[in-house]
Amino acid sequence: MIYDIRLVTISTYENDVPFARHVLRLAPTPQPGQRVISFSMEVEPASSDLQSGKDFFGNQTTNVVCLEPHRRFVARAAARVEVSGAPDMATPSPSWEDVAAAALRLDDLSPDAPAHFLYPSRMIGVPETIRAYASLSFPPGRPIRDGAIDLMKRLHADMTYDGDATTVSTLPEEAFNLRRGVCQDYAHIMIAGLRALGLPAAYVSGFIRTLPPPGEARREGADSMHAWVLVWCGEEIGWFPVDPTNALIVADEHVVVGVGRDYADVAPLDGVIVTSGGQGAVDVAVDMAPV
Amino acid sequence: MSSVAEHDGLFGFGLKEGYKALGGVTDEMVDTNGEIRQHWRSFLATLSALGPQEVETRFEQLERRLRATGASYRVYDAPGGGERPWPISRLPLLMPAAEWREITEGVVQRAELQEALLADVYGDQKLVKEGALPASLIAGSPEFLRPLVGAKPRGGKFLRLYAADLGRGPDGRWWVMADRTQAPSGAGYALENRLAMSAAFGEAFGGLEVERLAGFFQHFRESLVSLGQPGGLGVCVLTPGPMNETYFEHAYLARYLGFLLVEGEDLTVRDEGVFVRTVAGLRRADTFLRRLDADFADPLELNAQSRIGTPGLTRAVRAGSVALANALGAGLVESRALLGFLPALARRVLGEDLKLPNVATWWCGQPAERDEVIDRLDRLAISPAFSPASSSYARVRLGADLTTAERERLIGALHRRGMDFVGQEVVSLSTMPVWSEGRLSPRPFQIRVFAAATENGWVVMPGGFCRVSTAPDARAISMQLGGMSADVWVLGDAPVEQTSLLPSATNVEVKRHVGALTARSADNLFWFGRYVERAEATIRLVRAGHIRAALRDRGERVATQTILALLIEWGALTETPALTRRAALSALTDSRMVGSAVGAARAARRAASAIRERFSTDVMSAVEELADTLAGGRSRADPMDRADRGLRLLAALAGFTQENMAQLTGWRFLEIGRRIERALNTADFVERMGLNPSSQASLEALLEVGDSSITYAQRYFVPAAQRPILDLLLLDDNNPRSCAFQIRKLCELVAALPGELAHEEMSPARRIAEKLHAETVAADPGEVTLEFVARMRRGLMELSDAISDRYLANRDRIAFSFRIDE
Repeated sequence: MIYDIRLVTISTYENDVPFARHVLRLAPTPQPGQRVISFSMEVEPASSDLQSGKDFFGNQTTNVVCLEPHRRFVARAAARVEVSGAPDMATPSPSWEDVAAAALRLDDLSPDAPAHFLYPSRMIGVPETIRAYASLSFPPGRPIRDGAIDLMKRLHADMTYDGDATTVSTLPEEAFNLRRGVCQDYAHIMIAGLRALGLPAAYVSGFIRTLPPPGEARREGADSMHAWVLVWCGEEIGWFPVDPTNALIVADEHVVVGVGRDYADVAPLDGVIVTSGGQGAVDVAVDMAPV
Repeated sequence: MSSVAEHDGLFGFGLKEGYKALGGVTDEMVDTNGEIRQHWRSFLATLSALGPQEVETRFEQLERRLRATGASYRVYDAPGGGERPWPISRLPLLMPAAEWREITEGVVQRAELQEALLADVYGDQKLVKEGALPASLIAGSPEFLRPLVGAKPRGGKFLRLYAADLGRGPDGRWWVMADRTQAPSGAGYALENRLAMSAAFGEAFGGLEVERLAGFFQHFRESLVSLGQPGGLGVCVLTPGPMNETYFEHAYLARYLGFLLVEGEDLTVRDEGVFVRTVAGLRRADTFLRRLDADFADPLELNAQSRIGTPGLTRAVRAGSVALANALGAGLVESRALLGFLPALARRVLGEDLKLPNVATWWCGQPAERDEVIDRLDRLAISPAFSPASSSYARVRLGADLTTAERERLIGALHRRGMDFVGQEVVSLSTMPVWSEGRLSPRPFQIRVFAAATENGWVVMPGGFCRVSTAPDARAISMQLGGMSADVWVLGDAPVEQTSLLPSATNVEVKRHVGALTARSADNLFWFGRYVERAEATIRLVRAGHIRAALRDRGERVATQTILALLIEWGALTETPALTRRAALSALTDSRMVGSAVGAARAARRAASAIRERFSTDVMSAVEELADTLAGGRSRADPMDRADRGLRLLAALAGFTQENMAQLTGWRFLEIGRRIERALNTADFVERMGLNPSSQASLEALLEVGDSSITYAQRYFVPAAQRPILDLLLLDDNNPRSCAFQIRKLCELVAALPGELAHEEMSPARRIAEKLHAETVAADPGEVTLEFVARMRRGLMELSDAISDRYLANRDRIAFSFRIDE
């Protein structure tokens, strides 16, 4: 499936911002099952020092420096991407206990090694409430993939999608107590539950198609950037993608932008500005449609 | 051999009354038979010869010095700050040369090992791939900084300063309790402790051939200086700022080593280079002694929550344009979990056994080790695996202390996520004598030993920073370190070289001034000047008002009410009907009122302590004393008494800054702040007391608050009259209290600021100052109206803004991460 993606984000500030430095993480990352046909981005005001690079996990980053006073920062991105994702459902997956043991044993520190995704990270701890909830999906000996799908479905059923209940810095335990939140919260809660059981899990930031395939319900998170989860299922199967917000096994409706330990690793728009006023507001519009 | 009891001369120190080592642990001073060890005898004999009274005097001298320098204080962690005492133990720890050599070798070996491990993990990860260092052991550490993987540190080394915390174990050997690689603290305290001890106990120190510390610092300094490119600012000390508990040390080292003290917000990254915002514009800097924890160093790539970092710094490091000592990410090898792997890693990497053993440690990320820890839980301490081994023991649990329920919970957690825990042997440490309640008592301690990387290998400081526990419990785990520190004397077995402290051929003098002034320091100097002047004006107002409040004369009463109104407007007092004794006291001492004298004094202290390294001890002491005198509790002392003492301290402070500070750019900003404030205050006084239909009494009060009564009396033999007083306080630029005088000085000061060139077009600040000056000196006292004074005040405010915009610009920074995903 080939998609055209367009994104516009506009940050407005109360006062002039004479100096700003941003990191943008908006570009889809080429990877198995995902071919980036084209990508372009422009920012306003123009950057004095625009630099593209890759972070540790292999995600595309763009560094932007604005040295002229401005009250508005705009980033526009356009991409054409082909996805042919079809997760491996055939290979029998090992028990979750074996996966936990293998994750500790592996002599691998490369960017997609499970070791990085095994521990508490900046925004995701291993709270007892979420551990207890997640453990119901993992009775002794259950194959990891079955457990992950079950946890995903339970979360989708037990949570209410609510754009006003949480903010960008809400911790998973708070959202879990509310049983409300958006894709970031769904993903964080699921990751916290898996890690609490000693299972590696990663956070994915990306896009989901705006209009669902004919006859299906509209997907949550479609007008904005989206987030979902990778579950490590042992060396043979590797990373298995699930979308707890929509209770979907990720196939060809999602485009990956970045993978990290949590939101803080892959925030689409990070920055430091110098200003005497407040942070101001941000508007975002996203469209992803099959070509 | 003489036993303790035979040492008659030592009775005064409580030895005869029974200095008893704690059971089961070694004592540094007495052996198991209760006899004084050989290497302590000469020192104790010297003390005895001085006699108890003289020794007491020396102790006092020692403590006074540390109080005066500020070394014995550090900032609370609590919000709002405040400092608490950190006293020095009155006795040093004595170390024989031979034993010290063993420690030195062990510390150097360990520094080499840690350097090799960092080079591997941030480099080709051979040890990881071969399984010698578990990947999950590295990945679990919050100090494994992924953005730095693959970055080669400029100059090739991750560690430039390494430290190890040592304690003597029950087997008599020195054990490593913790490694310090992030940003080792304590070297500066060790130096200050040494200077104070050697001054107080010159005889003992001189007679014992104690190894000197200066050579170590010289090596360390040279090694950092050699990392820089010519033409830069030289080495900077990167500090988290005055709220950090070891800020005193950062400032102290910066001054001692001649490095510029900077905070993250002083730095900006442009095109992968790092620049310092100075009053003379952006200046390139390429070498930093880093005292800021790495995670906080860059909100863009590391911790986005950091408000004290420099966005882009990580990128500059990767580009190789700056060297940080120690490198970002060096904190990785402090983690407790690593301790269990070091003996095998030493054999593998260095081909040697560890010369200093470390505490036996089992990382529970390995099933066999985890099961052993669970089996032996009662005899072990359980800690978070990835906290630095040096971190507080608050989160350490003794297996033996757990309740049944706690034990069950812990075992469950060990089964689920064993990798988050380590089990460690519980070690008891040796004791040293401390002076407590008039006698010597044994207390457990640890010493921090420092090693600096130089071109010729590691150099170890002969001495160290000794932290003594406040409690007699010798189990390392229950130690409350930080209660007291002690100097460490390494006793040479040959005469110590006295002549030169400079071990290398380069005869570089340690610099006592720094070449650049950061915009932040200039801002603090400017505000220090303003607050000090404001404190003085407030005290003068209170004094003049209070004296008159008791008088029955109607004119005097009006004058008092005018002063009261001004004090309320300045925020020194809340609305109150009369300037009673109580109101006067409150205008001086109520710290809740920002405009009170103590409010201004505290603001001055805050500004001064943020630039401690620029002031002499005398200035800092006077500032402290001023704030204390004005606060001073609810004593009934006459407000006038307090006001007088405050003014005397302010006069001393003015003297110190005038006579003892090099009159360079920094001093100019202080002076500008002071002059602007004085001119503004005087303008306020004149407006209220000299211009509104004015009585004899208010004119006299005006002369008094304007501190010009004597000048007036000498010049005019008539009672206070409006015209000459307006001239004296506003227009006469020979009267050092007049507005005109301040303005003339401001013209001179502004003209000498960086970037002001005599023949170039004037800067806005200079133009404003010159215009104000011309208007003031050309005016006739008859032309002075309320409008004239208001114009002058506006001009002064504009001048303040112009200087601030050009040199001090200090806006808020906001780090953010917008939510654009839903």
